[in-house]
Amino acid sequence: MADAAPQPPFAVNDRVVYPNLGLCRVSGFETLTIAGQQVSFVTLKRETDGATVRVPPGKLTSAGVRRLAGKQEVADMFRFLKSDSDKATLDWKQRARTNTERMAQGGLIGLAEVVKGLQVLSELRPLPTKERELYDNARALLVSELAAALSCSPCDVEDAVDVALSPPGKERPRRTAEEFKRTADGDEDALGDDLLGLDGDLDGIPTDEPPPEGEAEGDGAGEEAPPKKPARSSKPTKAPKAAPRRPILSDEEVTMTMARAVALPAEPKKRGRPPGSTSKAKKQPKAKKPAAKAKPAKGKKGGRS
Amino acid sequence: MIRVAALDELDPQLLKGLCKHLYTAFGVGTELSEPVSYPPGMAEPFDAERLLEAAPAVRAFQDDKVLYLTRARLKERTLPTGNVPTHGYCRHGKDRALVTLAGVKDLEAGLPLVSRHALHVVGHLWDLYHCLDPRCAMFPPWTPSFEKGEPTFCTFCREKSERKIALAKS
Repeated sequence: MADAAPQPPFAVNDRVVYPNLGLCRVSGFETLTIAGQQVSFVTLKRETDGATVRVPPGKLTSAGVRRLAGKQEVADMFRFLKSDSDKATLDWKQRARTNTERMAQGGLIGLAEVVKGLQVLSELRPLPTKERELYDNARALLVSELAAALSCSPCDVEDAVDVALSPPGKERPRRTAEEFKRTADGDEDALGDDLLGLDGDLDGIPTDEPPPEGEAEGDGAGEEAPPKKPARSSKPTKAPKAAPRRPILSDEEVTMTMARAVALPAEPKKRGRPPGSTSKAKKQPKAKKPAAKAKPAKGKKGGRS
Repeated sequence: MIRVAALDELDPQLLKGLCKHLYTAFGVGTELSEPVSYPPGMAEPFDAERLLEAAPAVRAFQDDKVLYLTRARLKERTLPTGNVPTHGYCRHGKDRALVTLAGVKDLEAGLPLVSRHALHVVGHLWDLYHCLDPRCAMFPPWTPSFEKGEPTFCTFCREKSERKIALAKS
């Protein structure tokens, strides 16, 4: 069994990068007996905390284990950070998928893409917690790999990354949704208007609020797309014309709606019994009189509008 | 525990205020150490990395963080992507950091800025990275808005530092 295993491309004491774990050093090759079979492993030790990782030689490539970045890769990465590249998509689901792939298989440039993409997105609006954590992880992995590749201190390397992203003396720019529009439109074409059946679930949600003007100009993917397919439902019911189909609900849309909801003043609570709670209330229309009498009492309290 | 050691003679009120800001931000004890002197054979402007390496040791426990304060100017650092001014320096994830007061004319009025720089470098000692929030002390310190901020962390950095400190204690 062990003889048939492919030869590992690394030697002992080589420094390698395991995706999402960081910088490791090849500490040796060993053969273990697992379930009665001899299985060979490459043993890696993580440099930050000394944790041991064992990977079968045949799975090194599929796991994404790679050598430490060379000078050319580092130069390419800094060039990428300085360049004005495409903006991240506003569709959170696609962005999460892309970033996960970049973290796992993208190499040094992949890490830089995640850092830059999320930083540019943060110039439009604050990142949600999960993406903020992803940004921090990507930055930590990028800095540790660069520090090892350049033989510099991590402090200098992190500053170098930030200088590439925003030169000293300049504030970070404030982005508008318009800048992300082109990418969002392209994503919409690629994915189609029915992303993972989300539109079917959203059909039942009443849309009381009219869309705000700023949002209609082009925030998220799929907002401007006219409905192409009939709604998925077993009954051919008459869909209300006032509620347009919204195939993809981008996270910005959700954020905007939440922000608006917070900004709006709370509706005054209706006093008295809810209609239809008792049969007497329906039969006796004079039941409103006590509410009318209660009005002066409201005024005494200092008044809700 | 954070130990503050001055390489120059500094106003005790300033040091007290700085310790208070550090304690508020990190939630760990902050203490003034005895003053230390510059290592021989070095002249202003100092190379921050060399000064930090050669600075005399301060009596401290193994997991203590030592913050050195100096009035002297620190050299600009040349990085692969350009030059940056050096307001402070640290051994990332380790035990020593350095902050200069050279750019601050009025130390009483400039205490929040000095504290913000101190929070930044000490934050690096607890593995914090640069932050996206301009109000946070971990925002890159060469941006103009850094000087206007308060010596506080954003929620993310605060929680991360608390986790790191708790791990270090355990």
